[in-house]
Amino acid sequence: MAVTLTSKRYQVQDVGDAIEFCFQQGWTDGLPVVPPTPERVGAMLEAARLAPQQQVAFITNRAVSITAEKVAINAVMAGCKPEYMAVVVAAVEGIGDPAWSYHGPGTSTGGAAVLMIVNGPIARELDINCGDNLFGPGWRSSMTIGRALRLVMRNVCGSRPGLLDRGTLGHPGKISYVIAENEAESPWTPLHVERGFRPEQSTVTVMAAESPHQCYNQLSNTPEGVLTTIADSMRLGGSAGRQPQYAIIISGEHMRTIAQGGWGKKEIRQFLFDHTQNSIAHLKRTNRVPGAVQPADETKMRPLVASPDDFLIIAAGGRAGPFAAHIPGWGGSRSSLAVTKEVKR
Amino acid sequence: MIELLDPTAEVTAQGIAYVDRPASLAGKRVGLIDNTKFNSDRLLEKIGAILKAEYGVAETRMFRKHNASVPAHEEIIVELRKGFDAMVAGVGD
Repeated sequence: MAVTLTSKRYQVQDVGDAIEFCFQQGWTDGLPVVPPTPERVGAMLEAARLAPQQQVAFITNRAVSITAEKVAINAVMAGCKPEYMAVVVAAVEGIGDPAWSYHGPGTSTGGAAVLMIVNGPIARELDINCGDNLFGPGWRSSMTIGRALRLVMRNVCGSRPGLLDRGTLGHPGKISYVIAENEAESPWTPLHVERGFRPEQSTVTVMAAESPHQCYNQLSNTPEGVLTTIADSMRLGGSAGRQPQYAIIISGEHMRTIAQGGWGKKEIRQFLFDHTQNSIAHLKRTNRVPGAVQPADETKMRPLVASPDDFLIIAAGGRAGPFAAHIPGWGGSRSSLAVTKEVKR
Repeated sequence: MIELLDPTAEVTAQGIAYVDRPASLAGKRVGLIDNTKFNSDRLLEKIGAILKAEYGVAETRMFRKHNASVPAHEEIIVELRKGFDAMVAGVGD
């Protein structure tokens, strides 16, 4: 092997012992891991053409340098194929970006996971799921790429549940939370192009996020009809005005209904912005905002987010079924924002 | 035999310089760092009042961070450096 790996080494008898050893060391997420042997780690680094000591990200608040070698070890453990490594690296760069602000979502009682949205050709090459059972199991790339990122957060950054990671409830997306946009069937501008990349570039967008909140509408055949239901679900579905951003996942049926009405992502965002506002009076009555209700509070409206651009619209999910989902981001006061990084190959 | 690589970060020693704690708070100026969590300002006001009444602190002033997840920003640090002897900061819900 050409590369020199400097991580501490341990010897065990066989694969079974290796898996058990990783549990004992506290290195896993509660599921068995693939033993991180020097050969497997070397292959991971080679696939991404990274030197082991190269810094992928630096988490300022934790004063932690995340090296390519550590990312590779955790990617092996998560079950990634070597060709997934570039996506994991881009995601690690994303959570290391100051705008993502690791110290909040990596530690908070709010229990955010890292929603990863993969765009561009690599999503199809790696078969990252953009269709049926979008957030569920069944796709190796979707399950292991997100798992690798969470293992990096656990093992390198120290976000261990109950210690630095103090999520009160957490959610299953903290195991893995990776989707692709269905660019092949979507009539709309892909997320990464909206965020300044070219269509042929591959990117990962990382967003600190709650779980998906599913919305159902089988009655409407207009954009306004479908989006009225989604907006009503969103209006109070998160923390009603605390989250800096939301991801909105529009699956096949709703996507076709909205597109047939001639609406693009811009119109969706504006409609949702206009129809998800709460009166201060309602927020006070329901104990989301402190203080006694004043007469003016009845007509004083608080938008869900600062700008329509804080809604990330993603076309994904199965072709059949009248469902969409909204995913509230984490934190308040724009404390953590979604970050998009190119997958370098 | 199988060889495994450690996935955790090796800790590298970092030097952090601490200012000596004042022997007494009497006559000192103390900055209070509001982390923006609900009621954190009220808690710090009470702490400030105790520091004045019981420890003889001359002056306290509240500084408000941008949000709870980020370190105190540069303007706060500059102000503290200029005119304060000690500060109270913390995080919690």
